[in-house]
Amino acid sequence: MRLESTLIPKKIRESAKYCHECGICTASCPMAELLFTQYNPRSLLQAIFIDPEKMLVEDSLWLCAWCYKCFNRCPQGLKPPEIFQLLKTKAVKRGLFKGFKEAVKKIRNSIPLPVICLYTCFHPERAEMDSKLFAEALEELNTRRKLKKRKKTAIHKEKVAVIGSGPAGLTAAFDLAEMGYPVTMFEALNEAGGMLRKGMPEYRLPRKALRDEIRYLKTLGVKIKTKTRVGKDVSFNDLWRNEFKALFIAVGAHKSRELGIEGEGLEGVVDALDFLWKVNMKREVNLGYKVGVVGGGNVAIDAARIALHQGAKEVMILYRRSREEMPANPWEIIEAEKEGVSIEFLVVPKKIMGQKGRITGVECFKTQLGEPDETGRRRPIPVPGSEFFLEFDTIIVAIGEIAETTFLPAEVETYKGKILVDPINMKTSMKGVFAGGDAVTGPATVIEAILAGKKAAFSIDQYLTETKNREDTAW
Amino acid sequence: MVDRESSKEEPRIGVYICHCGLNIAGTVDVEEVTRFASTLPNVIISKDNRYTCSDQGQQLIKNDIKENNLNRIVVASCSPRLHEPTFRKACEEAGLNKYLFEMANIREHCSWVHLNDKIEATQKAKDLVKAAVAKVALLEPAIEAEVPITRKTLVIGGGIAGIQAALDLADTGYEVYLVEREASIGGRMAQIDKTFPTMDCSICILAPKMSDVGHHPNITLLTNSEVKEVRGYIGNFKVKVLKKPRYVTDDCSACNECSEVCPVNIPNEFDVGLATRRAIYTPFAQAVPSTYVVDKEVCLNKEGIMACDKCIIACERQAINFDMEPETLELEVGTIIVATGADVYDPSALLNYGYTRYLNVITSLEFERLINAGGPSGGSLIRPSDMKIPESVAFIQCVGSRSEKGNPYCSNVCCMNTIKDSLLIKEHWPRVQIYVFYVDMRTFGKGFEDLYRRAKEKGVIFIRGLPAEVVEERKTRNLWLTGENTLQNKLYKVNVDMVILSVGIQPCQDSEAIQRFFTLSRTNDGFFMEAHPKLRPVDAPTGGVFLAGCAESPKDIKDSVTQASAAAARAGILMAQGKVTVEAITPKPIPENCRVCGLCAQVCPYNAIIVDKENKLVEVIEAACAGCGTCGAECQFGALHMRHFTDDQIMTQIDALTEDDASKKIIAFCCNWCAYAGADFAGVSRIQYPPNVRIIRTMCSGRISSKFIEHALSRGAGAVLVAGCHPGDCHYIGANYQTKKRVERLWKKMERLGVNKSRLQLLWASAAEGERIASKINEMQVTLKGLTTKEVEKAREAFSDN
Repeated sequence: MRLESTLIPKKIRESAKYCHECGICTASCPMAELLFTQYNPRSLLQAIFIDPEKMLVEDSLWLCAWCYKCFNRCPQGLKPPEIFQLLKTKAVKRGLFKGFKEAVKKIRNSIPLPVICLYTCFHPERAEMDSKLFAEALEELNTRRKLKKRKKTAIHKEKVAVIGSGPAGLTAAFDLAEMGYPVTMFEALNEAGGMLRKGMPEYRLPRKALRDEIRYLKTLGVKIKTKTRVGKDVSFNDLWRNEFKALFIAVGAHKSRELGIEGEGLEGVVDALDFLWKVNMKREVNLGYKVGVVGGGNVAIDAARIALHQGAKEVMILYRRSREEMPANPWEIIEAEKEGVSIEFLVVPKKIMGQKGRITGVECFKTQLGEPDETGRRRPIPVPGSEFFLEFDTIIVAIGEIAETTFLPAEVETYKGKILVDPINMKTSMKGVFAGGDAVTGPATVIEAILAGKKAAFSIDQYLTETKNREDTAW
Repeated sequence: MVDRESSKEEPRIGVYICHCGLNIAGTVDVEEVTRFASTLPNVIISKDNRYTCSDQGQQLIKNDIKENNLNRIVVASCSPRLHEPTFRKACEEAGLNKYLFEMANIREHCSWVHLNDKIEATQKAKDLVKAAVAKVALLEPAIEAEVPITRKTLVIGGGIAGIQAALDLADTGYEVYLVEREASIGGRMAQIDKTFPTMDCSICILAPKMSDVGHHPNITLLTNSEVKEVRGYIGNFKVKVLKKPRYVTDDCSACNECSEVCPVNIPNEFDVGLATRRAIYTPFAQAVPSTYVVDKEVCLNKEGIMACDKCIIACERQAINFDMEPETLELEVGTIIVATGADVYDPSALLNYGYTRYLNVITSLEFERLINAGGPSGGSLIRPSDMKIPESVAFIQCVGSRSEKGNPYCSNVCCMNTIKDSLLIKEHWPRVQIYVFYVDMRTFGKGFEDLYRRAKEKGVIFIRGLPAEVVEERKTRNLWLTGENTLQNKLYKVNVDMVILSVGIQPCQDSEAIQRFFTLSRTNDGFFMEAHPKLRPVDAPTGGVFLAGCAESPKDIKDSVTQASAAAARAGILMAQGKVTVEAITPKPIPENCRVCGLCAQVCPYNAIIVDKENKLVEVIEAACAGCGTCGAECQFGALHMRHFTDDQIMTQIDALTEDDASKKIIAFCCNWCAYAGADFAGVSRIQYPPNVRIIRTMCSGRISSKFIEHALSRGAGAVLVAGCHPGDCHYIGANYQTKKRVERLWKKMERLGVNKSRLQLLWASAAEGERIASKINEMQVTLKGLTTKEVEKAREAFSDN
C-alpha cells in the first residue's frame, strides 16, 4: 500500500478519494457491458489507492471509450475518463505499453468494429502516444479480418433486414451474419456508413478504415443495398410482408431540429449535419469570414472545428446554458477551444437578421438559468430587454437531431422523434421489429450504438429461434 | 479619557499559557511564550500549565490572584467563545471583577491552523498574548444590568419536536404559543405509517400528544399561522404572527357534511398527491384542531365573490363564515424554540431513476401513505399502474443523499426507514420479493441492528451497489434495474414490479426566513447551527432561542423528541431564573466630548439612543441596547465610551500587534458572531492558512471604526481585513451595513491618497465558513508579497496625520 504515492498526481488522488463504490459507473459503462467482467471502471479507480504501480500496466486503463456516461451519473461528480487519461499519459511517459497492447488484443477479440472504435472511441493519441504505436495497434486490429476471412454459409433461412448502416446497423449485421443469418442492409445514401461517414470528419475517422470494415462485412455474406431509402424506394410493409422475418431499424438521428425563429430561411443559415456531410463529400462550402454555431452538443463542436478548418476566420458557438450543462464531451470542448473556437454561454438567438435574402447576423437574448427542466438541466430563460446583435456571415444550426420516422407504420410507437423500445431486448411495439442506436436514444456515442447493435442481434436471434420452435411444434 | 476608579490602580497582571495537552503545545512553544509574557509590562506572574480550564488550572489562577494581589488576568488558550465564561467565573470567585479578564486565542486561531509552522505559530502566539496583555491593562470593572424574562415561550413548528417542546414547557407551568403553518399540527410523523425500530404505529402514539396540545390550558395553538416579524432580545421578544382565516369557526363538529358537497377536487398534500381532497377539508382524520378549513386558493369563492354556497347550506351548525379576516397577533415571549422541520428530497432531477416518468417508481414518503391503513389505498401496497399488489419490490438507498447531485450529507434515517418498510411488506405479504440496493447500511442506534437482522431473517435481499438506471418494461410496466453488485464485481439486471426511492431529508424551504428572523447561522448543508456542537447542542447562537428536530439536522423521531425535551428544559432554566444579566458592553456617553450631532442615534439598529438636542443630552437605554458598538464607531468626537471594547483598548491591541514586522502582517477585525466564530470553525476543522494574520475581536463589525483601520495602516500594517456576517445575517439587525459604508468610504480615501486599496479587504463570512476565511487570507498574501517598503511608508504617512 502506497497511499501517498507520488506516482498518482495529487489531483487524481484527491478526487478519487470520495468514491463510495456504488457501482453506478460500471453499470452505466457500455464497455463494461460489452466486455462483461473484463472491464470495471469502479475497481480500476479504487486500484489507485491499492496498487498504483500495477495500475499503469493494466489493460483496463486503455479500455475507456470516452462516452462520459459514468461522469454524468456519478453521485460524487467524479470524471473517470479524465482520471484514466492522466494515468495513461503517465504510463506513456514511462514507456509502459504493456497495458495498451493487451487492451488492443481485447478490443480486437470482443469489440465489434474495432478499427473504427480505436479512432472514434478509445483515443490512445490523447495520452500523447506516438503514431508508431497507434499504427501497430491498427495493424493488430486488422488481423481480425485475416483470422476469420471466409464466407459463412447461411445456416438459418430466416432473412433479416437491417435498415441503416451506421455503427448500430453494422454491428447487428456483423453479429447476425456470424450467427449464420442471411442479412440485407438498406442504406439511403450512395455508400454505407451512416453517421460514421456523414457526420464524422476525416480527421476523426479516415474513410479508408470505414471502407475496409464494410468490405469485410460483405465478405461475410451481408448484402448491402445502397441508394435505397426505405419508405421511398421500397416500402416498409414490402420488406416486412415479403422476405424478412425480422427487421432492425438503425436509421440514426439525421433530422436536424429547427430553431423556429424568424430568418431561418435566409441564405447562409445551414444545417449542421448537411454542412458536415458536404465537407466530408469534399463539396464546396462557402462560409464567409465569421461563423456562428448554435448548440452545445458534440455535433455543434465538430461543426465549429470544421468551420475553422474550412477557412472561417472566426467561429463562435452560441449556447443557451452554461459550460456545466453543455452536453458535448468536456474533452471535445477543450480541444475546440484550443483550436480557437470561442464559446458564448447563456445566449439564445431571437431572430436571424438579413439583407437581400442573405444573413447579416443574429439578434440574441441573454439567458438566465431557472429550475431544472425534464432533462434535469437548468432551463434557460431569455432575459427581456437583454437583446444584442452579433454579426455573422454563416449560421450553423446544431441544436439536436432526431430520427426520421415517417416511413414507419403506426404499430411502431415513437415519441418526440425517438423510436420507443424495450431497452433490455431492443424490441419495438411491433412484433419482429427491433430498433437501436441514435434512432432510439437520440444523438449518442459510437460505442453506445455498437452496444445497441449487439444487444439487438442477440435478441433477434432469440426471437427467430423462438418463432421457429413454435412453428415446428405447430406442425 | 474618563478618569475611573480602576484606572488609578497600577495593573498587576497574571498571564497563564495553556498547553491544552498537545493541542497547543504540539505546535506552539508554550514555555517560550510564557517566558516572553513575563517580560511584558505590568506582568507580575507568567505561568504555563497543561489544562488551564481544569479545576487545578482554575484554582491556580484563584490562588495567584489572592496571594499576589493580581488585578488583571490573561489566559492564552482556546477561543473566548468557548471558555471565557469559565475563567470569568474563576476570577469572580477569587474576588476579581470578571471584566478584568482577557483571553488570547492561541488554539483555534493559531496552533490548529498553523500545524506545520512551529516557529511562526509561536511568534503569532506571542503577538496575541502581547495584545491581550496590552488590552487587559486598560480594562475596567463593570457591573451587569439585569433584565427580566417574560415567562412565555413561542414554539415554531407543530411537528413531533414542536409538540414535545410545547407540552414539556406547558406541563412545567409556562405559557406556550405553538405556531404551525399548516391547518393541523402533526408534521411529518403524522404521515408515516410505522416507526422504527419498535414498529409502533406512528399516528397512534402521536395522536394523544396532539390532542394534549389541543386541550392544554397553557398552550395557545395557532395553526394556519406564520411568524412574520421578530424583534427584541433574550427574555423580551416581540413576535408578530399572521393567523390566516380558516373560514370555519370553532363550532365545527368535524362531521364532514361540508366536504361531501364541495365540488372542488384536488390532490391531497397529506397523501403526497396520491389521493384527493375538497376545497373545504380536514387534512387527516386525527387532525388537531379538528375544525375544518377552506383552501381559498382552490375554493370557487374568491374575495368578495360568492360563487358557491354548498358547504354553507350543508353545515347544520352554521360554522362556515367566508367573512373571516386574517389577523396579526403580537406576542411577547421570553424564549423561542425553532422546530421548523425539514423537507424531503425531490428525486425527479435524477433522470436515470425515472421518478414521475414511470408510474411504479415512488418515493419512500409515498410508500408510507400507501401502506398506511388510513391512506388512499386503505393500507394495501398497490402499484400505481394497475392497482395490483406487487410480487417484487426494490428499494434504492441514498437517493439525493451523499451525492453531489443531491445533498452531500447522510440523511440519517433512510436506511432504518427502508428496513422498517421492508418488514412491513413482509408482515402483510410475506411472498413479496424485496431487494434493497445500498452503498452502506447505517444501523447505528439502539435496536437498529436487531431490526436489520430481522429483515434479513425474513428474506429481504440486500445488494451492495446502486442501480445506474431504472427502465420500464413497456407492456407490463415492470421495472428493470441495472447496476453493479460491487461486492461480487458483477453486473446485475433485476426485474421488479415496483421501485421505492429512499429519498433523503433536506432543509425546509423557509429556513432562510427563520434564519433572518433570529440571525441564526446555517451550516453548508443548510441546517441551523448550534451554539456549540457538543456542549450546547440545542442552544441557538442567539440568546433565548433554541433548536429542536430536523431543523437542526436530519434525525429520527426519538432524537427529535429527546432534543425537543432538551430545548424545553434549556428554555425552562432561563425562565425559571426569571432574569438575565446583560453583558456590560453597552456605551456610556461622555457629555463633555459630545456635540449632540445625533449620528449615533441614526445608526443605532435598536433605537436605543435618545438625543435631546435642546438640553444637549444623549441617553442610552441599556435594556434596549445590544452592545454592537456601531454608535461608538460612528462618533467622531470620542463621546461614546464603548465599554469593554473602548477605542483605547482596541488601539492598544493594534499597537501591540504592529510593533514588529507590521508590513508582513494582516490585521483582521472580526465580529464575534460570524467572522470570529468562522475563524474558530476553521481551527476546529484544522483548515490551514498562512500564520501572518492577527485577529482582533469586536462584538459586531459595526464597531470597527475608520480610525482603527487607519491606525493599523499608519502603524505600517501590510493589510487590513474587516470581516462580519453576511448582509442580512447581522446579529445586530443591520449594523454591518454601516461597516460596508465605512469601508467603502475608506477605499475612496485610499484611492485619493494613492494608497493601494486592495490592502483593505472586506469579507462576509458566516460561522460555518472557515474555508472562506482561510481562502481570503490566502488570497491576501498576493497583495502582501507585492507590497514595497515605499508603499508601506506612503500609507504610514498618509494616515498618520489623523
